Amino acid sequence: MKNQKRMYLIIMIPAVLLFFTFHTYPALQGLFYSFTNWKGYGDWNFVGLKNYLNLFEDKRVLDAYIFTFKFAIISTILVNFLSLLIALGLNGKIKFQKTLRAIYFLPYILSGLIVAFIFNFIFAHFLPNIGDSLGIEFLSKNILGDKNLAWIGIVIVAVWQAVAFNTLLYLAGLVTITEDLYEAASIDGAGVWTKFWKITFPLIAPFFTINMVLSMKGFLMVFDQIVALTGGGPGTSTESISLLIYRDGFDGGQFAYQSANAIIYFIVIVIISVLQMRVLEKRGVENS
Amino acid sequence: MLKKLTVGIITVALGASLLAGCSNDKGNADGKVTLELYNNKQESIETYKGLIKEFESQNPNIEIKMETGPETIITTGLTKNDLPDLMSIGGSPLYGELGRAGVLYDFSDTDMLKKINSTYVDMIGDLVGPEKDGVYGLPYAANAIPVIYNKTKFEELGLKVPKTWDEFIATLEKVKASGETPIYFTLKDSWTALQWYTLEANIAGKDFAEKKNAGKTTFVESHDQVADKMLTLLKYGHKDNFGVGYGDGNNAFANGESVFYLQGNWAIPAIEKANPNIKLGVFPLPATNKSDQSTLISSVDVLLAMNKSTEHKDEAMKFIKFMMDEEVSQKYIDEQKALPTIKGVLQQDPSFEGIKENLESGNIVGSPEYKYPVGMAPANIIQEFLIEKDKKVFLKKMDKEWEKISNR
Repeated sequence: MKNQKRMYLIIMIPAVLLFFTFHTYPALQGLFYSFTNWKGYGDWNFVGLKNYLNLFEDKRVLDAYIFTFKFAIISTILVNFLSLLIALGLNGKIKFQKTLRAIYFLPYILSGLIVAFIFNFIFAHFLPNIGDSLGIEFLSKNILGDKNLAWIGIVIVAVWQAVAFNTLLYLAGLVTITEDLYEAASIDGAGVWTKFWKITFPLIAPFFTINMVLSMKGFLMVFDQIVALTGGGPGTSTESISLLIYRDGFDGGQFAYQSANAIIYFIVIVIISVLQMRVLEKRGVENS
Repeated sequence: MLKKLTVGIITVALGASLLAGCSNDKGNADGKVTLELYNNKQESIETYKGLIKEFESQNPNIEIKMETGPETIITTGLTKNDLPDLMSIGGSPLYGELGRAGVLYDFSDTDMLKKINSTYVDMIGDLVGPEKDGVYGLPYAANAIPVIYNKTKFEELGLKVPKTWDEFIATLEKVKASGETPIYFTLKDSWTALQWYTLEANIAGKDFAEKKNAGKTTFVESHDQVADKMLTLLKYGHKDNFGVGYGDGNNAFANGESVFYLQGNWAIPAIEKANPNIKLGVFPLPATNKSDQSTLISSVDVLLAMNKSTEHKDEAMKFIKFMMDEEVSQKYIDEQKALPTIKGVLQQDPSFEGIKENLESGNIVGSPEYKYPVGMAPANIIQEFLIEKDKKVFLKKMDKEWEKISNR
């Protein structure tokens, strides 16, 4: 027993050390610099809470928050709806089930940047060409160049890619439900709809919770899709918070200011994740 | 278990020491000196490789290792006091930062400085600011932001190079009436709204930034016409001005989809690559109706700088002297389609005929963009304005953002 404990410790220590050096320590550094006027290089002075106070008056930051939340909420709902649907389909008794599962998982393996570049081409050339030849006015322009529609393009790409992973999680959940339950329900005369709401959904509730939390968190940090699709444009209409922090912090010489932004954003994400867990878990327990 | 762990650690440690060995080969055993050269310009890598080869064959005891990548390599190097021996960077805020930090060699007393067109030397002096005297880099190549036009189409339509704003608009009208697209905008990439700066320099004045910082003027006061003219130009675009980016724009213009293209001279090699048969011409955007020539935006595209505390000063200097040689410089200018900064070196490509007068008479100004506060991201605000077309809101926003960053 004692021996085993020591072994756990030995296994733990490198992980803790690595995590601390590459994760905790830089985060603490960021916190430290958020109270300075450091540009990312050169001299710096302490400025107290000035960065934080400026943040709350910055329209660009506010716009980034609004965009990010709009994007994250819509994408989270879409992803969970679609991936649950696909998972239900793939869990059914269909031909080529395994092949189909593999195909649906493919987008997850591809890098976000590559997917976004491919979609960039589709939006810029493929769709407008179709629109032109069919005479559809709506399609003939690149939606990424339209201030009011560009975010939809990003939602499409982000959702297309994220569905893969969430489907996998839902599938894992669906596999845990035994056939007996459905058989018993069928004997009691339950329809497909009742079966879903009374058996399937409550039993995969924990998976629903984790999927909601993970995808919300993921979408709140959206970055690479936007870099490859719009670069935050047109104007600043698709500038997410991560993009703003990166761009302004590293290219714009506003490292300290954006560190403060990152700290605030970190707190916001923690609060949202905790709230989500609380609410969704409670509901899960009540139902099951 | 423990044994395996030990083996693992040793492997990692060995690997690390091997890597360390790689980066530690500055002082070579065979007496060869290795110089590190940082170059931030993707487009010039091949040209540099050729020049380095030539230099190395003349100086067999010096080896030049070129590093490329984002400017953060330099800024982080600055904090760690670990800068490359030689740097080839743009005349950008980064240079100003390095100059003020006092880490670069001062070329003030060298003969080489006399070879360089003084307009460009003054231009990089502005970037450092009044706090520090000294010339910390040698301007090596310049760029310009003219109007590029398709000569063949231009002649087909019987057009003449416009000298005033009204003439330019009349020309655009003529093109539009003929059924061709006048200007191919690529505003999906916000940075391509470059003519904003030509208009600013000509209308709001070359010293706008200084006045703005001193609180003597605002965008609202001085940029009314600039904003109007941007919107006027936009009328002569294609149907999806905000849906096409720079790369696609180069191809479209190369394939004759428009008569004019508002880009810097750096786009010319890409355009000619896409269509080797295209005949191009350039002229400065006539920003006003004064008949004397419009001022052309021309900034330092590449400057050579040396680390003040390099261990191999003599060798590094040798390389800079080699680069500054007229023949070598000519080679660089020709290959890169860049504009020369060294007296006696000429850009002889016939495409550049239209801006020759500006360059020779010194009717040029460094891009006002570099005088905007770092971190303001004016390009995105301008792009937003071109979409929304709300001049009042836009000019106020420019003022507000400028002040916001300056006050931080």
